[in-house]
Amino acid sequence: MALIGEWIRRLGYLLRRRAHEDDLRREMEAHRALLEDSRAFGNTLRLRDEARDAWGWTWLDDFAQDTRFALRTLRRSPGFTLTAVVTLALGIGVNIGMFSLVNGLLLRPLYERPDEVVGVYSRSTSPPGEFRGVSYQNYVDLREGTTDIFATLAASSTVFAGLDVGEGAKRTLASGVTANYFQVFGLPLALGRPFTAEEEWLGADIRVAIISYPLWEQRGADPGMLGRLVRINGEQFAVVGVAREGFTGTGIPGPEVWLPLGAHDSFRTTGVSAGRPFGGRDEHELTVVGRLRAGTSSETVAAALATVGRRLEQAFPAVNAGYTLEMSAPWRLMFIPGPGSGAVTASIALLLMIMPAIVLLVACLNLVDLLLAREQVRRQEMAIRSSLGGGRGRLIRQLLTEGLLLALAGGAVGLFLSRWATTALLASVRPVLPVAVSLPDLGLDWRVLAGTVGFSLAATLVFGAWPAWAATGRAVVTDLKRHVGEDGHRPRGVRIGNALVIGQVALSLLLLSSGGLFLMSAISAATADPGFRLDGGLLVEVDPSLAGYDEARGRQSQLALVDRLRTVPGVEAVTIGSGFPFTSFGDSRSVAPAGAADAQSRSVGAVFSVIGRDYARVLGLPMLGGRDFSDAELASGSLERVAIVDDALAEGLWPGEGALGRLIQFTDEEGPGVGQPIRVVGIVPAVKHSLGNPRPFPHVYVPLGQHYESAMTLQLRVVDQEAERAMLATVARVIRSVDERVPVLRVETWRDHLDAGLDVWLYRAGARVFSAFGGIALLLAVIGVYGVKSYVVSRRTREFGIRIATGAHPRALLWQVLREGGRITAVGIGIGLLLALGAGQLLQGFLYGVDRVEPVVLVTAPLVLLASSLLASYLPARRATKVDPTVALRSE
Amino acid sequence: MMLVLRVLTRQPMHGYAIAQHIHQLSAEELRVEEGSLYPALQKLLVKGWVKAAWRQSESGRQVREYRITSSGRRQLEAEMTEYRRTARAVGLLLDEA
Repeated sequence: MALIGEWIRRLGYLLRRRAHEDDLRREMEAHRALLEDSRAFGNTLRLRDEARDAWGWTWLDDFAQDTRFALRTLRRSPGFTLTAVVTLALGIGVNIGMFSLVNGLLLRPLYERPDEVVGVYSRSTSPPGEFRGVSYQNYVDLREGTTDIFATLAASSTVFAGLDVGEGAKRTLASGVTANYFQVFGLPLALGRPFTAEEEWLGADIRVAIISYPLWEQRGADPGMLGRLVRINGEQFAVVGVAREGFTGTGIPGPEVWLPLGAHDSFRTTGVSAGRPFGGRDEHELTVVGRLRAGTSSETVAAALATVGRRLEQAFPAVNAGYTLEMSAPWRLMFIPGPGSGAVTASIALLLMIMPAIVLLVACLNLVDLLLAREQVRRQEMAIRSSLGGGRGRLIRQLLTEGLLLALAGGAVGLFLSRWATTALLASVRPVLPVAVSLPDLGLDWRVLAGTVGFSLAATLVFGAWPAWAATGRAVVTDLKRHVGEDGHRPRGVRIGNALVIGQVALSLLLLSSGGLFLMSAISAATADPGFRLDGGLLVEVDPSLAGYDEARGRQSQLALVDRLRTVPGVEAVTIGSGFPFTSFGDSRSVAPAGAADAQSRSVGAVFSVIGRDYARVLGLPMLGGRDFSDAELASGSLERVAIVDDALAEGLWPGEGALGRLIQFTDEEGPGVGQPIRVVGIVPAVKHSLGNPRPFPHVYVPLGQHYESAMTLQLRVVDQEAERAMLATVARVIRSVDERVPVLRVETWRDHLDAGLDVWLYRAGARVFSAFGGIALLLAVIGVYGVKSYVVSRRTREFGIRIATGAHPRALLWQVLREGGRITAVGIGIGLLLALGAGQLLQGFLYGVDRVEPVVLVTAPLVLLASSLLASYLPARRATKVDPTVALRSE
Repeated sequence: MMLVLRVLTRQPMHGYAIAQHIHQLSAEELRVEEGSLYPALQKLLVKGWVKAAWRQSESGRQVREYRITSSGRRQLEAEMTEYRRTARAVGLLLDEA
């Protein structure tokens, strides 16, 4: 308490400072006047300073004074100031850019008071660990059993849906939610109202929707949007609300539309229970999220959840036995599964921040260079100030204030640069994402601003501390007597400068070669051999369910398309299959030998595809054994279940024995026909399914007749391979003529498909980001080399003058300077190569088709560096040869 | 500082008067620069142990008068107790030696 009072008094003093000082002056004068011998009073000025110190604001005065002085000094050397600010802007800018990304994706809370929001998961107890969703009926019991704990407990189920965009439909994420869903997050809607309890009732089928802010913007950001219709999976939904900007629900990415759970049957076409009415107790489809009542301890919650879990187990043992309810933080990133943990988030953030931190380090080394050179010029100033009674601490503070001003200016400019860079990065993500989603806001917030100030402060310490220390710690008397630049021996600044340049070159090489590795990955990913023939291949993605078709009608529509496309002139062959290599979604099955006692442990994970006639032929895969599916098998209702497997799967199941004619089973199958063995009738070569995994992944193919999948890909091979792109428009037109309602999600050549995929994009993005960072570091290193060399040449003007006067050839001088520049660059490259090898080791997991020791990169990057650095020393070197001996000798 | 507080317990007074009082109380033993009273007074103000206000003196001059606050009295009390204890301990030590 006493301390708070003291601070209030101090602040009061600060605010009414002039009056206070006036009081003090007046009373001291009055006192002095009363004394017979006024000397007995003491030194008035010193005493007044001491009295003022009592209030503890001296530092602020000093700081203000330092700032004013620093501004003056910096204004007097605009060249230095500009270089320093630009250097720092680049260094700090990349850090802010990456940090805004990290902030938006990982740190910034997605909703109000995030600690109160928790997810509830159903977890298997035997064997322990496996998570599943919560069924609607279980959710309702849970909600009713925990009203004293949760202020709101909501549930959602996110599915893919087709959103009508005028010409056909595009695939998007849609989320069926309970009426109280938006209430959990404590954020009001931007427009309209949340869903009502009537709309949530199962089977109510009231067709209303809340759309995301970006979707609303795409539709013209019209305030009159409410009441308009949007078409989802061919059904009309009336818009009743628009979510807030940046709202993504519990995780990233978020859906584009929210629909009431009561209308679930109208939009859900995929998932475990597609086609059956939603809401059975055994359909564990919902994600549950709730807001705790304020002050509820996690022990209370765990206990209450366990109680409800036990009750559900006892009441409905058939579906709930062996499952308990647990609480955890909601999953933040959809593509990093598992309940979000702070430690994971922190380590991802840290990893992402390493690269820009290195760039900032290079920038700081540059600044040290600049400041050390400047220090030489300012030695006299420092000497004078120090002899006039400026203490070392005070002088250091002065220099650091200058540094801080530079860093803050750099930070401010960097902030602008980074806004632009993150916008560009986000814009490049959207087109390659396979579905339309809501991404969080990456805008400014206090974290980014605090980050900017933090980066500036850190930079100031890194680049400012040592030069300030060095500049003030000199024998001042000798400096006063000496003239600027008059040094008998080789100045210390040059040696230090060389060391700094070596550091910069090494770090730049590290970034450049990492960029090179990603670039190579991008190239080899784009040109990778997928295991099948790409030439003349086209693919068309359709999903009749997005037009609201049921299985019978969808199947009919798919087959009609295949038949019609076969007749198009120029098309050599057509087939159909669920999934296609390098698409982002794939179904999978655990395959085991049928009837094996240890089926679970012998099972092999395989990509599961439903295929039509000629699939292998169209992809250019030879039959390694057996036969293609027969017409009977392709039609529905065939007798025996059959499958074609690839050699990777055959080898996994029966190593070295061959699989043809043997029986397999899917150990993770649900629904009708479970356990019925499947005969392997054909063997095909393996194809790759994703780039991340360089080895072919096992595949199992089943005939169209035995499994229905609404999202299918039509594969075409055209006769004229040169004109494959020209065929795209024809194909799209033909499909629309067959059935206008079926949305065509994608029409492209196989080559473009691979090239534009998310896989390749990831490597490209890595290459782009690393190359940009490497490029900036290179630029900074070149500026560093140039600065040091210029400085050396200017310091040695006299030496060069004398040598020219005594007959040295200018070319010899040129070579000497270049050689010295080359030498330090070579040392830097040597160290940099070691760093690059280390980085390659670390990055290996992220690279594709590239060795961690990649000769092309390890030769090219150093050459680029060497060439740039020689160029940077060439300019000062030329200046050395132009020295006029008479001028040089007189100049100092 | 303790002395200043002690002097102010009698009555509120201005800087010159405080200096005179300390002078007399210490039987002219303590002689310091009188001006050094002011940094001390400022510290007391920061701590909130005294308050200051301008007032017309009997002789008609404007003087800045200092008045001890209740927290100042408590502080003085505490410091006196501490001082006495130390003095007694030192006294005991000296007697024994």
